[in-house]
Amino acid sequence: MLKVAIVGCGKVADQHAEQIFRIPDCKIIAVCDREELMAKQLQERLNVQFCFTDVQELLDKAKPDVVHITTPPQSHYTLGKLCLEAGCCVYIEKPFTVHAAEAEELIALAEQKNLKLTVGHDEQFTHAAMRMRQLIKDGYLGGAPVHLESYNGYSLEDASYAKGVLGDPDHWVRKLPGGLLQNNISHGISKVAEFLQSDSPTVFAYGFTSPFLRSIGETEIIDELRVIIHDGASTAYFTFSSQMRPILRQIRLYGPKNGLIVDTGQQTVIKTKGAQYKIHLEQFIPPWDYAKQYIANFRENVQKFLMADLHMDHGKKNLMELFYGSIAYSLSIPISYREILLTSRIMDEIFSQLGSAHCAGQSYIPPVGASA
Amino acid sequence: MLTSSIVRGQYYLMHENNPIISLDDPILITGSNGFIGSRVVETLLRYGCSNLRCFVRPSSNLTSLYTVLATFPKVRVELIQGNLLSHEDCENAAKDVTVIFHMAAGIEKTFPGAFMNSVVTTRNLLDAVVRFGTLRRFVNVSSFAVYSNWNLKRGELLDETCEIESRLVERAEAYTFAKLKQDELVLEYAQKYSIPYVTLRPGAVYGPGSHQMTGRVGINTFGLFLHLGGSNRIPLTYVDNCAEAIVLAGIKQGVDGEVFNVVDDDLLTSRQFLRLYKKHGRRFRSIYVPYRLFYFCCYLWEKYSKWSQSQLLPVFNRRRCATYWKGNRYSNQKLKELLGWKPAVPFVEASQRYFEYVRRTGEDHA
Repeated sequence: MLKVAIVGCGKVADQHAEQIFRIPDCKIIAVCDREELMAKQLQERLNVQFCFTDVQELLDKAKPDVVHITTPPQSHYTLGKLCLEAGCCVYIEKPFTVHAAEAEELIALAEQKNLKLTVGHDEQFTHAAMRMRQLIKDGYLGGAPVHLESYNGYSLEDASYAKGVLGDPDHWVRKLPGGLLQNNISHGISKVAEFLQSDSPTVFAYGFTSPFLRSIGETEIIDELRVIIHDGASTAYFTFSSQMRPILRQIRLYGPKNGLIVDTGQQTVIKTKGAQYKIHLEQFIPPWDYAKQYIANFRENVQKFLMADLHMDHGKKNLMELFYGSIAYSLSIPISYREILLTSRIMDEIFSQLGSAHCAGQSYIPPVGASA
Repeated sequence: MLTSSIVRGQYYLMHENNPIISLDDPILITGSNGFIGSRVVETLLRYGCSNLRCFVRPSSNLTSLYTVLATFPKVRVELIQGNLLSHEDCENAAKDVTVIFHMAAGIEKTFPGAFMNSVVTTRNLLDAVVRFGTLRRFVNVSSFAVYSNWNLKRGELLDETCEIESRLVERAEAYTFAKLKQDELVLEYAQKYSIPYVTLRPGAVYGPGSHQMTGRVGINTFGLFLHLGGSNRIPLTYVDNCAEAIVLAGIKQGVDGEVFNVVDDDLLTSRQFLRLYKKHGRRFRSIYVPYRLFYFCCYLWEKYSKWSQSQLLPVFNRRRCATYWKGNRYSNQKLKELLGWKPAVPFVEASQRYFEYVRRTGEDHA
């Protein structure tokens, strides 16, 4: 039985707790928050044994095997380090750390202490993402991706998150180097990072404040981002948008032979075949094939729903299960450290480029040939 | 016209209410730009209170508050922008005040979000109150929904003596959970630091400024309005009447530690209210679902939610169903006896104003 603790008792902690309860052979034994009232409300609702306001005390007294860190990102590095030094495996909510250098240190510490560490990139562990990975493993793309497109849509109408950020000039999200983007893009960036081959790809970032936000007097938050990534072999486009509709959570992969369109919001995986048909058959066969695939996806989702396996946060549960399994049975970690680091580095580079542009009072337009 | 209204208000405040404050004592109103908050400000100004401090969030839409303030141009009103999660902002707001009308609340749907913005904020405010020691009354605006009617029969009286819900997590209501915890916190501080307080639990507040029809009539789900209230009496209170009750609870002597439910006289049934709404407000299609049928559906939903490990969250459950649609009687007797309150705006006039607002704004009904 793995003993689990949660540090940070805000909204994300609830999402973690819900999924942890669904996993056998683990138990939440302690919660911790600097704000005692927040810690106590979670303890009461979850019926947890211990409640702390100090992480060191939690580590000393509760002695958990795994600690989930669900605090704002600014504290991820310090808390992660404390937990690793105390001999705990750590699940850190995204974004992993504020800077890549902190990520490197944490990973080095985890390796040195032979402990497991992961980040909450749970979208990569939804049913659709797992199907995608299996298809790629089976060689469907016909080789490494030639090009990737990752779409990360966002809604500013979300009352519990976005409105909180927009309405509070002192919100912690605004104090991140990458602001709203930093708290949200790691899902979409990590989907790309998983398939990049170079550890230092070239990154071109262009970001701006949407006309909508400008119309309500917001000038600090960048909520539209376009990124081009090139690693020598593959290229990728990354799009973050608060205004684009539909709100996409999608990755498109184009291999040398075939392609895949994976929608983690709608939970669909569509195979796009590289072969072309003669004359008008090209207009008849692919649409028919897509229709069949969408129906198959529909059937699969309904089946999963009927089997009670289509929870809103099922990706989180899958990731946690794999992570806990890696701890309990000494298996490999679900997200490679290389991928975590690459995601952090790409994000650092994006914010560095946007930051330079912001200081200059303009959106960033990269020079030709700019590189990371 | 306005001057004579203020003079009448002053007379009422000073001579008929035996107030604990004088007209120029500093009064803090949190959530002062809200639906009820702005009416509380208006009522205080009408009573002649001349030293108001309105606390608002920096991002708040202040239209309704400015509209109120514009009608009292000569009165000094201090507007403080801040966040009650900040100790510093709380101290700025609470400094030297004699009465606090605490109406700011977390309306988020998540438990931690609602808790943080209702309970942690209230704690911060109370800490500031303890520090300054000038407070004569803390008016804690709670919610009618914190009561449990689980052990009451249909049609039985639900009043201030009834039991408080003990299983709010099961009821899956973050807002009510936070309000209940807020009540507990206020009581704890009152006992520990001798803070004089009064708690008000308004029923279903309606009036111009809020399009929402109370969920006690029914719910709009999957594009269809399910009428669930049937022949139940709805604990309606018109926003101006409710604001007056809140103000009286803040100034009247001899009511410390009391809890008041706020409902108007002559309560309509859900069916009557819905009929009037459709006739004078907006027309839409609704389907009547009998209580026992909906209760059974809630039972099934609850069981499914448990079996599926919350694949569908238990938002429909038996306790919630009972709270809102079982049907009870309500009383404002205590409010009338101890505060001398009576609904100044009768239902006919109140409903006219409300339905006109609904017609004019043409917003969604639920």
